[in-house]
Amino acid sequence: MQHGHDSTRRRFLKGAAIVSAATVSKGMSLVQSQSNISAARQGPNDSVPHRPLGHTGIQVSAMALGGYHLGSTRDQQEANEIVARAMAAGINFFDNAWDYHDGHSEEVVGNALKGKRADAVIMTKVCTHGRGKDVAMKQLEQSLRRLQTDYLDLWQIHEVIYENDPDLIFAAGGAAEALLQAKQQGKVRAIGFTGHKDPRIHLKMLSHNFPFDTVQMPLNCLDATFRSFEVQVLPEANKRDLAVLGMKSLGGSGEIVINGAATAQEALRYAMSLPVASTISGVDSMQVLEQNLTVAAGLKPMSAQEMQALRDHCKTYAADGRFELFKVTKKYDGKVGREQHHFPTPEELPA
Amino acid sequence: MTQNSTGPAIPLRQFGKSSARISALGFGGHHLGDAADEPTAVRLIQEAVDGGITFYDNCWEYHRGKSEIWMGNGLKGRRDKVFLMTKVCTHGRDADLAMQMLEQSLRRLQTDHLDLWQIHGVAFDNDPELFIRHNGAAEALHTAKQQGKVRFVGFTGHKDPNIHLKMLNTGFPFDAVQMPLNAFDSQFLSFEKQVLPELNTRGIAVLGMKPINGHGEPVTKGILTAQEALRYAMSLPVTTTITGIDKPEVLQQNLAVAQGFQPMSPQEMQALRDRVRDQAADGRFEMYKLSLKFDNPEARMAHQFPLDMQSVEVKEMLQATKNTGHPFPKTS
Repeated sequence: MQHGHDSTRRRFLKGAAIVSAATVSKGMSLVQSQSNISAARQGPNDSVPHRPLGHTGIQVSAMALGGYHLGSTRDQQEANEIVARAMAAGINFFDNAWDYHDGHSEEVVGNALKGKRADAVIMTKVCTHGRGKDVAMKQLEQSLRRLQTDYLDLWQIHEVIYENDPDLIFAAGGAAEALLQAKQQGKVRAIGFTGHKDPRIHLKMLSHNFPFDTVQMPLNCLDATFRSFEVQVLPEANKRDLAVLGMKSLGGSGEIVINGAATAQEALRYAMSLPVASTISGVDSMQVLEQNLTVAAGLKPMSAQEMQALRDHCKTYAADGRFELFKVTKKYDGKVGREQHHFPTPEELPA
Repeated sequence: MTQNSTGPAIPLRQFGKSSARISALGFGGHHLGDAADEPTAVRLIQEAVDGGITFYDNCWEYHRGKSEIWMGNGLKGRRDKVFLMTKVCTHGRDADLAMQMLEQSLRRLQTDHLDLWQIHGVAFDNDPELFIRHNGAAEALHTAKQQGKVRFVGFTGHKDPNIHLKMLNTGFPFDAVQMPLNAFDSQFLSFEKQVLPELNTRGIAVLGMKPINGHGEPVTKGILTAQEALRYAMSLPVTTTITGIDKPEVLQQNLAVAQGFQPMSPQEMQALRDRVRDQAADGRFEMYKLSLKFDNPEARMAHQFPLDMQSVEVKEMLQATKNTGHPFPKTS
């Protein structure tokens, strides 16, 4: 999670918007032909394809709206318009977290989805960061209230990024027990975890053989060759039939695009062409949404050759993590997690 | 070698496979640049030599050269009594740049040779590749040794045991390797577990650093004492433990542990590991392993990472370039 880079993000997106809808094929792609198009009000050729969320029976759009950025919109009205436009284009999957903008993101999405709950797949994340089950269950009630719903489609453990997080989560009375309890009580349909730091920590989580339904991770064309979730975690998740949610397709704050490693379209298409259920992308303005839709609507996946060419092209930028700062710095590590682990605040330790 | 007549000697240990012997406690050059003024720094060095410290650490980029200059003045007339190390800061750049840095370091340190010259701050996943590539810094280490300007060569880094192992696997014949070694490290991304045994097997000299975690945070927070921390680090199978010295009282505190050093028993060491286990597990006291903030701006520039304008090092860098019209400070 990171703060204060919205202006940077907008700056690059303006540049990237030059790559227009003209690049989007009118043809129907393989993924799209398999998709559930009923949620889309547009024609099948230009809607965002849907895919199964692992073994849960839930269908999600191949692109999800990132909740942090929806909390950064000008006002509720703008968020409402973005959500309405996204749903019209076929997006039904909404990401969030208990700590995004101290709850504001959940409230904004709750309001925007009023009357649309049945058509939406709502995910939020719990921010115990090592604390026990009781804290998790309290946060769940708060999230449900803010999101104005009595159940979540998906509830994930947020930011598993510290070396000892897996130990704390699976300790007796830890957050893992809360996931099971919430599922038993029917308050959540599916459960998972997220993290942006290190594939080893993800693998440590998976090694517990806990019945996760989903796992979220950074997936982009630089990750492919540096401390790689794509290489180390994605195949393992696929093997276990977990739904994979990709994030940070542009480097977290558009670093990949701003610095010229790839264009926004290339980077998004790459991420969405991986064997994932959905790619979560932060959207804080209609302009950004329209840009994302140039790729996501009527998605045309890259061929294996195109993907390899992009990996090769990005390799030198990827090799030291300079544009994946969420892996190599503290910059993207959230406030609540830092507090629980007694780490310096973002003000004291920005990087 | 001069010894302080009042106390027992600091033990000397064999430097890798060579016949050289160095004191079990090393004098850290970065903190020397934090001394109140140059006369204080010079006195600290002189008293350290008299107290039996023979190993002196430094680096081309510490305080933009101030650490090397002050150490050079402190060692005037004492050069032959010590084993002098400094580090080169190419951070992936070419061999030629390394050789230029070597000449600058030799001038500042007022000597015609180094006992040990090390690659500074190997911290990024691609540093080993950049080091060993054609025209990389590996070639400079080789050349400098052939020219007799350095006796031994090595590398340092505080980030990740896996990167150290990658450096070793380049096949380059290193004489020494430097890394963080302290009770916290023993159970978090651990150099002690992953790298130390490998170096011992290969007969490479081990230089421990950050015995009290860089800036002594666990001591300030009362988790352990400075003496316990230093004793733990010095009790490991290492050649020396480098510790920062910026004040006379710090020097005296360190000399008190090092003179007539008695290692901890394996039981004492395990008890200390157990005591810090909870605080060690997420790395909160070893931020040098986790954050770019603890990487040198020189390295950040070479790797195109954004600079932290609030860091002391960047402020010093800007100060040094003021009004010169040069992007980099002129060096002596």
